[in-house]
Amino acid sequence: MDTILDVQSVHTFIGQYHILQGVSLSIPRGSITALLGRNGAGKTTTLKTILGLLPPRQGKIVFEGREINGMRSFDIAARGIGFVPEHRAIFRDLSVEENLKIAERKKGDYARKQDFIFGLFPDLKRLIALPGANLSGGQQQMLAIARALVADNSLLLIDEPSEGLAPVIIENVMAAIRELSKNATIVLVEQNFLVASQLAEYYVIIEEGRSVRHGLMAELVQDQATIHRYLGAA
Amino acid sequence: MTKSFFRQHQASLLTLLALVLFPFLVGLFEGASPAVVWANGSGTSKFMQGLAIEVFILAMFALSYDLIFGITGLLSFGHSMFFAVGAYASGIAIKSFGLNLGQTFLLVLAAAFIQAVLVGIVLPRVKGITFALVTLGMASVLHLIVMSTELGPYTGADVGLQGVIIPDFINPAVERLRLYFVAMTVFILFYLLYKRFVDSPTGRVCVAIRENEDRAKMLGYNVFTFKFAALLLSSITAALAGFLHTIYQPIVSPNTASLAFTVTALLIVLIGGVGTLSGAFLGAIVFRALDFGLRRYIGESASFINGAVYVLFVLFIPYGIIGTWRLKSLELKKGWEDLLKRFQRSMG
Repeated sequence: MDTILDVQSVHTFIGQYHILQGVSLSIPRGSITALLGRNGAGKTTTLKTILGLLPPRQGKIVFEGREINGMRSFDIAARGIGFVPEHRAIFRDLSVEENLKIAERKKGDYARKQDFIFGLFPDLKRLIALPGANLSGGQQQMLAIARALVADNSLLLIDEPSEGLAPVIIENVMAAIRELSKNATIVLVEQNFLVASQLAEYYVIIEEGRSVRHGLMAELVQDQATIHRYLGAA
Repeated sequence: MTKSFFRQHQASLLTLLALVLFPFLVGLFEGASPAVVWANGSGTSKFMQGLAIEVFILAMFALSYDLIFGITGLLSFGHSMFFAVGAYASGIAIKSFGLNLGQTFLLVLAAAFIQAVLVGIVLPRVKGITFALVTLGMASVLHLIVMSTELGPYTGADVGLQGVIIPDFINPAVERLRLYFVAMTVFILFYLLYKRFVDSPTGRVCVAIRENEDRAKMLGYNVFTFKFAALLLSSITAALAGFLHTIYQPIVSPNTASLAFTVTALLIVLIGGVGTLSGAFLGAIVFRALDFGLRRYIGESASFINGAVYVLFVLFIPYGIIGTWRLKSLELKKGWEDLLKRFQRSMG
């Protein structure tokens, strides 16, 4: 199996708190992998550790065959890792177009990807000149995802894409993520198990800062005991 | 195309026209013809030109602060050091080393660059209130240096630097109108440069850093580079404002290196509107007019009233004049659009 990202027994601290106490992931290229777990299990911290925003104290992170732990976060992002943070983290004072243009890594990225992005999110084209703060929650989420598409990212880390969105908007976001997976590998943090199970082919369960289970999503869906034990969902 | 340019920049062009005509209009009130004003013969006009020069210098200083604080989100309590370095370097270069204005100008640019590099060294390590305190510490050190008796022969110690001989061609006592136009032109050029900077991709990244530094990093930006670019431009602008200050004022006071002078820039920006750039100019007018007017008519107790006015300003116009104006214009525009939609709906 061709692996794009390999996280080996990573330990991360926030201040004096030992948050990740041995997380390991192996992400197959071209797949969608869901990181599952209860609130506070360490899913978002895992994404931030991969990105270098919270550098690990122990362990190894290998992306595209190269060790990236210890690198600065902007260097890691520039290697082709896009991040869609939780809470629809766009730049509220910048217009929709400026939010997209700022994500250019090479001049002309935005112009090249415009058709693809507006094909996925036609609403954004209509709102192009509006400040980010004036968009609805769903539109901000679409903008946050669209921003990660401007540059050529081979890996996208998406944190809680369905959080706080209406069901009809969640459908749109899911369709967009499926479309994205044709060109990039996706690691998805998702509280909504139904959404995660419909999108992802693989899963990793994180419990109290440790990766405790992993495998095919199709198998997990059948395993009600594991779902109930680690996710509290039935 | 030409028409739309004029329409698009109507307010800026009218302001420019008003600034160019200002000395002559003031002269007319006194009964002095434009020719008399041109020959620096009108007392009132000359006095008002002096006030306006102070406004341009303050506006440049505040503009540089707005770039750091309002656009990039770096709260500095030591911004006065950039101004003071420009002012003292100019005065010492001319008075003690006999440099001409051109050489002094280049020296000020070099000093501003070195200073930005020194502050830049701490930039990646600190942010937020720690950055504010580190810059305050640096400015305090400079304040102590210019006040020290050991350097008194150069800086004038606590009395301030006096006796800087300014060449006649730009000396405010002889050619004030020329200095007025020079200060105005320098301010306008810097204002346009700042507009360009803020609207450029680099400026947009600075705004992104202000909003959320981590998000900017996640997009692959080395935020240090952008903060340093803003700091460098800001340092050069403030130092050149200090250079103009030395040309205009007969004395460079140690107060120019004090915390109070940084607070002056902060107040001007708060009055005009944080992050608006044009607010720096409007804020400088209000600040100088209030200070001058209250001192003239009330005397020493003016400071108390001044303080109260600023508190009221921050409480009731929190976005500053320009910020509030923009907000209200948007609300008004939206209100008109809603009204129009309702009207169209009612007409079927």
